[in-house]
Amino acid sequence: MGVLAVLPLFLIIGDVMFKGVSAIVKQLGSPWEFLAWLPPDPLADRWGVGRLLVGTLYSLWEFLTRLPPDPFADRWGIGPLLVGTLYMTALGAVVGFIVGFPIGVYIGEMRKEAFANVARASVNVLVEFPTITIGLFVYAVFVFVIEDLNRTLLSPLSEWLTSALGDGVGQFIGPLGGYNAYAGALALSIIMIPYVALVTASAYASIPDSIREAAYSISGREFKAMFIVLRKAVSRAVLTAALLGTAKIAGETAPLLFTALGNIYYAPFTQATAAIPLWIWYAAQTPYDVQIESAYGAAAVLLVIVLTLFAVAKLAAQKR
Amino acid sequence: MAIFLVLFITFYLLSAFTLLFIKTRWGLRLIAAINVAIIAALVATFAWEALPLLERDGLAVFVNSDWDPPRESYGVLNALVGTLITSAIAITVAMPLAVGVAVTINEMLPQRLRGVFGALNDLTAAMPTVIYGLWGLFVLGPVLQSVVNTVSTWLGFGEVMTAPLTLFTAAILLAIMITPYAAAVIREGYALVPRHIEEAIYAIGATKFEAVLVKLRYVKNYIFGGLFLALGRAMGETVAVAMVVGGNFARFTLNPFESGITISSLIALQFPNAHSYQFMVPALFAGALLLAVVGLAINAVAIYILQRATT
Amino acid sequence: MGKVVGETEVMVGSMTSSKSGVVIKNLEVAFGSLEVLRGVNLEISPNTITALMGPSGSGKSTILRVLNRLIEIYPDARVKGDVLLDGRSIFEMDVVELRKRVQMIFQIPNPIPNLSIFENVALGLKLNRLVNGRRELFQRVKQALEKAQLWDEVKDRLNAPAGKLSGGQQQRLCIARALAFNPEVLLADEPTANLDPENTAKIEALFLELKKEMTIVLVTHYPPQAARISDYVAFLYKGQIVETGPTKEVFTNPKHELTEKYVTGRLY
Repeated sequence: MGVLAVLPLFLIIGDVMFKGVSAIVKQLGSPWEFLAWLPPDPLADRWGVGRLLVGTLYSLWEFLTRLPPDPFADRWGIGPLLVGTLYMTALGAVVGFIVGFPIGVYIGEMRKEAFANVARASVNVLVEFPTITIGLFVYAVFVFVIEDLNRTLLSPLSEWLTSALGDGVGQFIGPLGGYNAYAGALALSIIMIPYVALVTASAYASIPDSIREAAYSISGREFKAMFIVLRKAVSRAVLTAALLGTAKIAGETAPLLFTALGNIYYAPFTQATAAIPLWIWYAAQTPYDVQIESAYGAAAVLLVIVLTLFAVAKLAAQKR
Repeated sequence: MAIFLVLFITFYLLSAFTLLFIKTRWGLRLIAAINVAIIAALVATFAWEALPLLERDGLAVFVNSDWDPPRESYGVLNALVGTLITSAIAITVAMPLAVGVAVTINEMLPQRLRGVFGALNDLTAAMPTVIYGLWGLFVLGPVLQSVVNTVSTWLGFGEVMTAPLTLFTAAILLAIMITPYAAAVIREGYALVPRHIEEAIYAIGATKFEAVLVKLRYVKNYIFGGLFLALGRAMGETVAVAMVVGGNFARFTLNPFESGITISSLIALQFPNAHSYQFMVPALFAGALLLAVVGLAINAVAIYILQRATT
Repeated sequence: MGKVVGETEVMVGSMTSSKSGVVIKNLEVAFGSLEVLRGVNLEISPNTITALMGPSGSGKSTILRVLNRLIEIYPDARVKGDVLLDGRSIFEMDVVELRKRVQMIFQIPNPIPNLSIFENVALGLKLNRLVNGRRELFQRVKQALEKAQLWDEVKDRLNAPAGKLSGGQQQRLCIARALAFNPEVLLADEPTANLDPENTAKIEALFLELKKEMTIVLVTHYPPQAARISDYVAFLYKGQIVETGPTKEVFTNPKHELTEKYVTGRLY
């Protein structure tokens, strides 16, 4: 039984990592390509290992920045996918944490209030909501507001910012397209909010009253007691929650389908934005070998990201 | 009109977070209300967006199995049945496994391995669903097809599974995905069995096996709670299912070994071209409404069971 | 309302011209429908140790939690009546100011276990911006730990988590945390209930030392402790004060039957 519990995990990770890493290695090419490109080094023998390392890092960098393949490409990378995933995940995690954490504090600290019970129930429900419905919701909201928002707020704002700060601003702020990174990040943050809130609430609820009294009597202001002293008392649980929540939204696909949509080019974040999970979803269902291969390559990278976050979270939780 | 909504939300957030520093309790209440508002807005939005079709067809949308966009005929019964079939099979397979996994991790394993296996179990529950889909598409589907066909041929039914991507494939993939999740809920309950009860069980001379049975009865609320939570997850899962279910929108089927469709995968697969038709967007929102309401009901039951278990 | 309080202020001010005395007037506290205090009147003189004693459930700890308004963190608690510190109503003071002046130590030693020893004492000072710069912070923490007679035991491991200390050390750490504020009033809620006799003796000696600088209100359910270190005692029973007076008098010549029963160990 114990084996059964972890067997699918190893099968899946094994399959994805094996096919994914071999696809990536094929794309990396030989580090010597890059070395041949350098002027000959009189000290080649002495610095051989160093040059090899630089060459490997360079081709890895190439892989991490190249575009994903069209059906007939032979060299490809995951550049836009990685950028989109990192941007939307980071934004979604930050917003989700900023809103989710106080909700958790409220439910955990003021659990005797009637409204706290309502909030707790709503958090429990939202955390289990099918993620596709959250994507659809954000899509509908953006359809509703986007025209007015662009006309009255974002266009003038971006014009002003561009004139003040230069053209680069347009990558981040500007009139939004129907699909954009911010809609994706918003959908991800709605998934993150109840998750962070739940873990925070149970951590705060487990603080003994004696510690709670100490916190209030040394900090005076309720805000400081709740958000500084008591947070320090449960910092590990909260950190774990933030990391696990980030790992969770980094791999989410369904909420991004109608919000970020996906892309195969580098695009401003105000337009349809690429993401690793979206590419896996799209490329795996095409009939072209090179795209399926790239889906596996992207999946391996996604797995590494998620596994790293997960491992750090578990270590942070255990460290005494 | 819409800009007022944006301004209101901005103003609300600013004042809630400012209030957090001044009148902490009121700030907290206002922020917590956001979560309640999201759920209300979500359901209201779906109802509103589905309204054109609901006005045209009434509730017939949910009992009509004909999905034919060119004729603007949209019935989600096909998908609803697909959702029910896949999640029923998934739950039937997953629950015994989940109980077994929870018991194994908490009872049979030495203390040192428990943490490791618990973490691996959590990881299985936390893996991106699209990766499950990828694996299901290229590994599980073909393997399942040959296994099922070998068995059915041996039994004399011939090759029942005609394609690798079927409702059954989706169901088995779902079972794999929800087992660790249900197991985690059961393990949570298991950890709450008081020491003195455990001692009492052994004190009356129970064998290990009998003790496990008694304890399982003690945590039965967690088992049912886990079951409903897992069911909710199985019914809502989108990407992994959509990748392996076969995407058969048109033909109504009750046979799990044929390709089919579920509500969530219907939405995921049809939405990209929904805007070419007049009523498809409302139809998909009607599906989402159904998903939300059913999900709400199932999770409410699960939460009720689990809250009764903890108090 | 404000006017009435103003008059009271003048009146009491003239009565007790002392520094940092506490006057409790007609205090009533209820948790939901449960009445815990039913009209308590008590005067606490500065630079004394006043012991509140009584059986469990008599409301002693609740009085302490009113004195620094810690009671406000319990949402179902309702408070009526008034408490004057130096002649000013504590309910009209800024709660931060009040808690700086009136510090508390608790029955269960409650340092924040995962924070370091240093951080536990320093946190309150930092949060209330009572110090400028790291050097002053360190000095204040050191002073507080020395006053609590813990410095010598922990000076080599200030960065160790507070949870690693023994029970007695944790309690003295909590005392240091309170002393770091240089409070005028120190509230102690059965501070030795969970300690062995040796640590109890240390803390009692410490209190006798501290009362030169501050007013101490000590809750105890162990009459001999009140007899050993307090100057005044108040005996509570079911939310009301039965008897109050100088310690010697109450112990040698109790006026009330209940008090006599209690101090002789026949009432719990």
